[in-house]
Amino acid sequence: MDLLLNDLTPWHWAFGGAGVAAVTLLLLYVGNHRLGVSTGFENVCSLVVSAPYFRRDSVTGSNSWRLPLLGGLLIGGFLSAVFGGGWEPFWDMGIFDEKIGWGPAGKVVWMFAGGVLIGFGTRLGGGCTSGHGIFGMSNLEIPSIVTTVSFMVGGIITTNLIYRVIV
Amino acid sequence: MRWTALYLVLGAVFGLILSRSGAADYNFIQGMFLFEEFQLYGIIGTAVVILAPSLYLLKRRGLAAGGRPLVIEAKPGHRGNVAGGLLFGVGWSITGMCPGPVLVNVGEGKLYALAALAGVLVGASGFGIAYPKLIGIFRLPPLEVGTGEG
Repeated sequence: MDLLLNDLTPWHWAFGGAGVAAVTLLLLYVGNHRLGVSTGFENVCSLVVSAPYFRRDSVTGSNSWRLPLLGGLLIGGFLSAVFGGGWEPFWDMGIFDEKIGWGPAGKVVWMFAGGVLIGFGTRLGGGCTSGHGIFGMSNLEIPSIVTTVSFMVGGIITTNLIYRVIV
Repeated sequence: MRWTALYLVLGAVFGLILSRSGAADYNFIQGMFLFEEFQLYGIIGTAVVILAPSLYLLKRRGLAAGGRPLVIEAKPGHRGNVAGGLLFGVGWSITGMCPGPVLVNVGEGKLYALAALAGVLVGASGFGIAYPKLIGIFRLPPLEVGTGEG
């Protein structure tokens, strides 16, 4: 299967996994930080929301590394497109277009709703695929294994409901 | 400034890998949850197989670069792990994106990812604002500790 981005052929999973491991180790060894993306959204929120939760030392004290890491993810996606056939805004969603077929307005509502669940859920769970699934599981942490099993179960049920039951 | 550049570069390399390996692709995420595509299991599995012994050895050595003591903050366990994990899983399925790929997809030019990013920030803001009320429901750690960084 090709990627939605410019129909590129994806890299081998072993290369992708080794690359993720290398980034994780560099962040830990050079930066002395455990990998985690979703906490960075709290740092973004802290720039505009003044609730006590966002004024904790662990949030304000990590702006200097979490914000550039998140900015880097944006740049990485942009460079991937630029060096992989060119950057151009697009709406393609593959199987969603084939089986559900909603236009841009429907996709915006769908994506916003899913995004709220990601933002609320990752913060309630204390991490996401990177912090729990990759770092926490590799570090054999029980809360991370519990959370990873939970989000895999949530995703498996939802996708199977959508594509094997509803449509 | 030197450090900002380091994290920008690490983030960009991470983003490039997620973009090109299929981890930021709606079809590959649905294929993972449908058990039709091995790709994502291969990526996460390879990363964990490399990282588990590496973290063990690094922790035994106990030092980061420059001889600083290695710091790995442990995440607390609480009822939010299961509830939050389930909610996030539903969101991952709906959007085909986990937090890193939300940003990667915006960078790639996928316009619908902007709506997902807006939703993520609203969801995280709502969580932070509601935290004092959620502590009782999910037996969460005190506000100063939080649910876990990462």
